[in-house]
Amino acid sequence: MSFLAPLFLLGVAAVGLPIVFHLIRRTTRERKVFSSLMFLLPSPPRLTQRSRLEHLLLLLLRCAAIGLLTLGFARPFLKQTLAPPPGARGQRVLLLVDTSASMRRANLWSDARSKVDSILRTASLEDQFALFTFDRQIHPLLTFEQWSAAPVGERAALLARKLRDASPGWASTELGSALIQAAEMLGEKNGKMPAGQERIELITDLQEGSHLAQLQGYEWPKGLHVSTDVLTPRNNGNASVQLVADSEDADLKTPASVRVRVSNVAGDKREQFKVGWTRGAGEGFAVKPVEMYVPAGQSRIAALPVPPDNSLNRIILEGDDEDFDNLVFAIPPEPLRLHVLYLGSDLETDPKGAFYFLSRALQQTRHEAVHVSGHRPGERIAPAEQQDACLFVVTAALSPEEVVTLRAQVLAGKTVLVVPNSVEVQPTLNALLQLEGLKLEQVRPQNYAMLGEIDFQHPIFASFADPRFSDFTKIHFWQYVRLDSAAIPRARVLAKFDNGDPALLEVPTGAGRVLILTSGWQPQSSQLALSSKFVPLLYSILESSGIPSPLPAQYRVGDVVPLASLALAAQPNMTVKLPDDSQRPMGSGDTNFSQTDLPGIYTLTTSQGTRKFVVNLDASESRTAPLALDELERLGVPLARTAGEVRGSETERKARLQNSELENRQKLWRWFIVGTLLVLLSETWLAGRAARRAVQVLQPAPG
Amino acid sequence: MTGSNLSGLKSSLIDPKTLMSIRNLELRARVVVEGFWNGIHRSPYHGFSAEFTEYRQYTPDDDPRYLDWKVFARSDRFFVKKFEDETNLRCYLLSDQSRSMSYGSLGYTKAQYASTLAATLAYFLYLQGDAVGLLTFDEQIREYLPARHRTGHLRHLMLALEKPASGQATDLEAPLKHIVQAVRKRGLIVLLSDFLSPLERFEQNLSALAACRHEVLVVQVLDPAELTFEFKQPAMFQDVESGRIFFIDPGAARKEYLRKLEAHQASLRASCLRLGVSWQTLSTARPLELVLFDFLRQRMQRRNPVQRFSRQHRAQTAAVV
Repeated sequence: MSFLAPLFLLGVAAVGLPIVFHLIRRTTRERKVFSSLMFLLPSPPRLTQRSRLEHLLLLLLRCAAIGLLTLGFARPFLKQTLAPPPGARGQRVLLLVDTSASMRRANLWSDARSKVDSILRTASLEDQFALFTFDRQIHPLLTFEQWSAAPVGERAALLARKLRDASPGWASTELGSALIQAAEMLGEKNGKMPAGQERIELITDLQEGSHLAQLQGYEWPKGLHVSTDVLTPRNNGNASVQLVADSEDADLKTPASVRVRVSNVAGDKREQFKVGWTRGAGEGFAVKPVEMYVPAGQSRIAALPVPPDNSLNRIILEGDDEDFDNLVFAIPPEPLRLHVLYLGSDLETDPKGAFYFLSRALQQTRHEAVHVSGHRPGERIAPAEQQDACLFVVTAALSPEEVVTLRAQVLAGKTVLVVPNSVEVQPTLNALLQLEGLKLEQVRPQNYAMLGEIDFQHPIFASFADPRFSDFTKIHFWQYVRLDSAAIPRARVLAKFDNGDPALLEVPTGAGRVLILTSGWQPQSSQLALSSKFVPLLYSILESSGIPSPLPAQYRVGDVVPLASLALAAQPNMTVKLPDDSQRPMGSGDTNFSQTDLPGIYTLTTSQGTRKFVVNLDASESRTAPLALDELERLGVPLARTAGEVRGSETERKARLQNSELENRQKLWRWFIVGTLLVLLSETWLAGRAARRAVQVLQPAPG
Repeated sequence: MTGSNLSGLKSSLIDPKTLMSIRNLELRARVVVEGFWNGIHRSPYHGFSAEFTEYRQYTPDDDPRYLDWKVFARSDRFFVKKFEDETNLRCYLLSDQSRSMSYGSLGYTKAQYASTLAATLAYFLYLQGDAVGLLTFDEQIREYLPARHRTGHLRHLMLALEKPASGQATDLEAPLKHIVQAVRKRGLIVLLSDFLSPLERFEQNLSALAACRHEVLVVQVLDPAELTFEFKQPAMFQDVESGRIFFIDPGAARKEYLRKLEAHQASLRASCLRLGVSWQTLSTARPLELVLFDFLRQRMQRRNPVQRFSRQHRAQTAAVV
């Protein structure tokens, strides 16, 4: 027997009341009139417990009346199977399981699998399921088509197997985009489904760093619901260590150090941590660690001195229970070595020469170690040095052999900056550009010349485009060489003097280019070397010469790493060594490396050498404090009222309807009410008889 | 009254319950008195009749009609002539009509029993030719009929006795004072009450009555339930006079009740003995013929003062049920 309103069965507890009343001696309500109470004192009222029950039959009848009434109110019915209504359709459920790094915490993944299993157990045969996982991206494991294509009896097992093969990764949680993509996948095919028949079953730990911003303003398809199964970790606390990028302006003279941030989520009971270099997880600290006190909900920064042993590249945090984010990889900053070759007749020590200023402008920083070497025309230059140079600066006329060699470098992709000190450079320039009619003319303006027109769109001047930096009028040019830019094919004038003569030209040549600065920067020719624009201008020229840009201190798991930033130029036979020591060959057409799935140190091997880069866990994954569901509602996510409500609502609704119909047909409650009335009548008759008998017995017969 | 007479009387006793089923009070009294002879008593009292007894010197406030002018003419002094009173016994029945008298556990109340007793005495004395008066009271005096022996007086007396008990409390002081003031001649005062009220001033008032040389008979009428308190079940007991309600467990309260009742009775008895007043406690279950017999026996004992105390004491002991 089942009950439509089983909560009424709690009323059975009222059976205890008559038992208690039968055990308690009532305070008499019988009133006797007496002549005078002058000799009497009031007796204390007695509510003593009786040692045994009296009027057992009466008690049984009263208990039975309460029991029958309770059963009647509970609307009993006999379970029978009703034929399902024709045309019944199931639900389409997209299971969206979080596989971000935070799911690596102790019990979360097993809980997630249990949730999926319980969902599948309560599903009806008509229901359709799809299984997707998500971290930074959404990954389909089983689509609706695959579900439908599988035999009916094997569908649940197939889905469970797919989930068993999956596991949490190391990427961050992009819950917002994952929900949107899931909604759009459902929305593509929901034309046939009635409203309320589709839902996304989100199984996640719903941590604070789930990145929900994309949900802002998203218009959800009508009739789609999102039910959430929020997984609760055993440990609420979590501390993490993250690498903090060092400033590029850091003083070279100070000892190198790596800054790390130790964060402790709110609610963590632990506050004392140790952080230091290690050779690997579980191997302890290789050098003395730094002890840190980080209260819950706060973070602290610590600078770890780079150990002399360069083999150490891991920093570990100890004192935290959740260890998925307690290890970061750090490579001590390695400056990019650049070589600039100066070809001119002046000496480096000559303060009137261009070389003097060039060698002093290009200084070594933490990220770039620029080496400027000078050669007089006619000196032999080693091929390796030429090969190593990324920029050639020519200020004097070169021999035809030297020009041929230089042109070969240009054609190979190098950049040559020609700064003609005099018209004597004309043959060299003609030979370099393979021109014949280019004539140079020495010009000394009346007072001075200024830069009048600058192409700020060009990468060289792009950094000066801001109005705060675009004022070149304070730079006076005392002399320059005039050349006809029209005589140079494909020449692009990047800057002009105020009289219209070109000041800086770019001539693409082969894979490289030739830059012609018509005036020198030494004080004899102009004020350029003395101005604040000189060094930025040189670095702009250097960076636009195809050198690799400085590597960021770290990439996040899942980031796309542009290969151009790793190598000087596209190289054939490049391979990337992953942290798990596997090799991943790169094709010649590949421009990016996107398989940064593991945190660790990646090594790019090219014919020029190797270059390492670091991939670490996203810091937001360490923000493991649970996010309130209200936040999802605030962002407009159509949440079901409770987790699993929508999941079970349809089957529960069907069951309720069926039970209600059965109960309505059987109407057993009426028999219980009739039984109650009969019992009450019997009880009334019996109680009346007992009362009469008691009155007769207790009638006082004094005297 | 001899022992053979008493045994004959006991054999023809009427159950009080049966007697009380007779609605007419006079008829009840007649039933009880029937069988008793009408006695003529020689009056021991002085009055103003034809038979001279003595002279007494005139004092102010004496009626000047009874001055002996001849003696005045002879001696120049005022003397009042005193004659033997020709009237018979003057009996005043003081009946308590307070609400406590309305209690009864035998199917009739103490008030009914007391009224029947008073009517019986009145009828009995009336048949003897004695004058009978009545005073009913509760917390105040309700009815007062002077002692008379005339046609219709007994009827008035019966009507006054038939009035139901309506008073709230019992005040014995007022009727006793009233009797002292109203009755100048010596007589028989029969006080019928349950005396379930404080007795602080009772002895003082009774002493005034005794000082007037009245013959006083105190009859305490109590219900058997009041004498034994044989209730079984605990109940809310309500005081019929004050209306107070107590929860009483008779099993627990009986002993204390009986102790206090006995103390009260002893106090009443001691007051009466000190004043030489006859005292009797009656249970309403006692047949009225026996009560009448006791009354007559006590009257006879009063004529023999030497034996008064011992006999009276024995009679009282026998009267208590």
